[in-house]
Amino acid sequence: MIRQKVYKTSLASLHPSLVASGNTENKDDSPILIKYRFSKGYRHKTLDTTLTKARVAGEARALIRCLRAGVNVPGVRMVDAAEGVLGIEWIDGKSVRRLLPGGAEEEDEGVDETLDDIEDVDHLQEFDISVGEYYQMMGLIGTEIAKMHLVDIIHGDLTTSNMMMRRTASGKPDLVLIDFGLSYQSSLVEDKAVDLYVLERAFASTHPDSEPMFQSVLDAYQTQTGKEWNAIKKRLDDGECTSSVQR
Amino acid sequence: MDLFYFPHLAPDRATTHIALFRNVKNAAELRKRIIAAATTEGEAGDAAREEVNFAFIDARLITSRLHLQTAVYQSLLAEAQNGLRTRTVHSEVLWNLNPTNNITEAIRRYGVSDATTSLLVVRIDGGNIPVEEMQSRIQKVVEGELTPLSKLREITDWTTIKKYHKLASELSVKAAQGDLEKETAVIDNIVTIDQDQSLLRDAFQSIVDLNWKAISLSKLCVSTSNNLGTIVQ
Amino acid sequence: MAGIILPTSFIMPGRLKKPTPLKNPERPYIALGLEGSANKLGAGVIKHSEDGTATVLSNVRHTYITPPGEGFQPRDTALHHREWALKVINDSLAKANCEVSRCSCRLIGPGMGAPLQSVALVARTLSLLYNKPLVGVNHCVGHIEMGREITGASNPVVLYVSGGNTQVIAYSRQCYRIFGETLDIAVGNCLDRFARVINLSNDPSPGYNIELEAKRGKRLVSLPYATKGMDISLSGILTSVEAYTIDKRFRSDGQPRDENDTDIITPADLCFSLQETVFAMLVEITERAMAHIGSKEVLIVGGVGCNERLQEMMGIMAQERNGQVFATDERFCIDNGIMIAQAGLLAFRMGQTTPLAKTSCTQRFRTDQVHVAWRA
Repeated sequence: MIRQKVYKTSLASLHPSLVASGNTENKDDSPILIKYRFSKGYRHKTLDTTLTKARVAGEARALIRCLRAGVNVPGVRMVDAAEGVLGIEWIDGKSVRRLLPGGAEEEDEGVDETLDDIEDVDHLQEFDISVGEYYQMMGLIGTEIAKMHLVDIIHGDLTTSNMMMRRTASGKPDLVLIDFGLSYQSSLVEDKAVDLYVLERAFASTHPDSEPMFQSVLDAYQTQTGKEWNAIKKRLDDGECTSSVQR
Repeated sequence: MDLFYFPHLAPDRATTHIALFRNVKNAAELRKRIIAAATTEGEAGDAAREEVNFAFIDARLITSRLHLQTAVYQSLLAEAQNGLRTRTVHSEVLWNLNPTNNITEAIRRYGVSDATTSLLVVRIDGGNIPVEEMQSRIQKVVEGELTPLSKLREITDWTTIKKYHKLASELSVKAAQGDLEKETAVIDNIVTIDQDQSLLRDAFQSIVDLNWKAISLSKLCVSTSNNLGTIVQ
Repeated sequence: MAGIILPTSFIMPGRLKKPTPLKNPERPYIALGLEGSANKLGAGVIKHSEDGTATVLSNVRHTYITPPGEGFQPRDTALHHREWALKVINDSLAKANCEVSRCSCRLIGPGMGAPLQSVALVARTLSLLYNKPLVGVNHCVGHIEMGREITGASNPVVLYVSGGNTQVIAYSRQCYRIFGETLDIAVGNCLDRFARVINLSNDPSPGYNIELEAKRGKRLVSLPYATKGMDISLSGILTSVEAYTIDKRFRSDGQPRDENDTDIITPADLCFSLQETVFAMLVEITERAMAHIGSKEVLIVGGVGCNERLQEMMGIMAQERNGQVFATDERFCIDNGIMIAQAGLLAFRMGQTTPLAKTSCTQRFRTDQVHVAWRA
């Protein structure tokens, strides 16, 4: 997203009067992520305010809808639609982009944002799945996207940067879809196909030789989607969606 | 007794006192007292209102510390932006907890009723009143067993919560069936903010009329982004 | 006659990262460009000198203007172009003070079939008559190349907004890639059609009269805001703004009925609201493309690009991103022959010519199908 700043903070913190006493039973420091949508000077003020509000509320609503449907997405922590602020659960994990071959190279998005986390290539081993089990991760991706599409949420910006792997309390790897800034609600087969097509393009442009991997995303998606799959696949194969997406 | 501290809010709004009671004996009397305070006029009324100037919340309906925290925080934001939907910031907490837009329903469900035995008492203020003083004020109106907030999970009534939030048929809850720990974690994450109305509120509210005396988080993001947190993107 | 002579010389920017494959010409080249994709008929002569500079020798245009409330029909427009072709070309050549062009460049590109064919016929005839090479030019690439030439923008994100096209374009690997576009009607088409609904004059252009009208607008009425990633949709907005003209608060004369009649919507308000909403969408998708490719420059081309409010909004956006906006005035924004000459001559210098047999027109010639050989 552009012209939107992201902060790491916490909603509450230890009360100053308790800091001295050393009482740290309830630390209240679980981090949250704040997304702040700036007002745009070029836009008529009324239009800008209405739009920002609608978008913050829309993003929160999409997240809640996903949470209810059991899609792994960050939980909502605070909503200040009037000021364009959304606070969500901080996901402690690694982006799928960085876990896949080729993804650690220079990011082509958000070039003008400050990226201060220059890390080495992350290894999948950290998540107790071997390099050979990339396909397992692809399966998780397909499943989460399918669950999201089943409740008619279209992500609008599916890339490997917008997915994170994290470890659950049980130690099992977990795939989380993030950044619903461009999401919207639609039951159209066309929109779901375009969502998948965007991801296919993202795979192809970021990760070399990823066709077989993307195929396992689709396989898992198919298993989860059930009877709606045929219509979506038809659209995807037609290349119809290529006309509306030219990234 | 417990404290919430919201460092991003104005000092007179940053501290929240919380007391959790079990085995509450005087719920019916307390309810009458709150209604009476609301209708009494003059100085006597002011004094009566101050005595019950708290949010009284049915503790069975709260899933976690974070759940209560977000409700308090959203209420403080609404107050700062002149956007309260109810009469006070304390009643706003009840409204923010309820997943529908209905104020009467919010108070009936989440407020104190004659049958209430577990009660959360919440007081939003500047933190100038010492904890001991606040505790004695609260214990003047609530007869019950003061319990640490960490025991909240023993009180939570997941079945009623699922009913109020219409969660029973949701795929997330169904998928976690049989695994109580997972199910409660899923429910907790959803109910934390689960309201269409709190998201929509500002659409009804006039936009320009903002009160900057109490600073809202976003303004702070701009002015003191370095102190607030790390810019990650 | 809207012809203007431009003796000024415009210098190519020299700050390209990679060496440009375009060599300075060994001798001066002169090109005649012919344009006729919509209701404008244009002819322009450009000269590329040995030092790499380009000079506009002439830029002549004649517009087919229809009565208020009417659009231009392909058949009538083609007739207009046939009628005026010789006059416009002669004029252009006379003003350029040259007899026969070195290389005659002609447009092929998206647009209406009939008017295009009449101009193509003229170009083929000239080519055969004087034995000059012919280069087919994509209309949109013409706009972009002329915009870059005039403004000196080196690698901008291009917003191409006209009666027939609405696209956000950026250069990548010898191709102008389309990042976002309208999913239905073009922005110029949207504005023109609304101008017809409220009976604004088509002279000099409906879009210009909308702009004038919008300046008097005060009230922002609510219209759908339809962006989808980097794409936009405009037909819903047109329907909504049209619906306001049958609203009971609408006063077609813009005047309140009496002093108590304050809750009113005037045609000016609607023009204002339409512009504010549609332009905000255009600026937003442009900004998204800039963030995507990491560019700080934006170039607006096409007829709607003349609109000063659009330029102003784009300027604010660019400023907020520490970038720069480049726009041209009506001489180059609106369809013209000179841009065809410029793009055609660039292609010619890279050895591209179009054999006579292939000089038919195509209405579905997409911008991203052009091989931009002259850029690194």
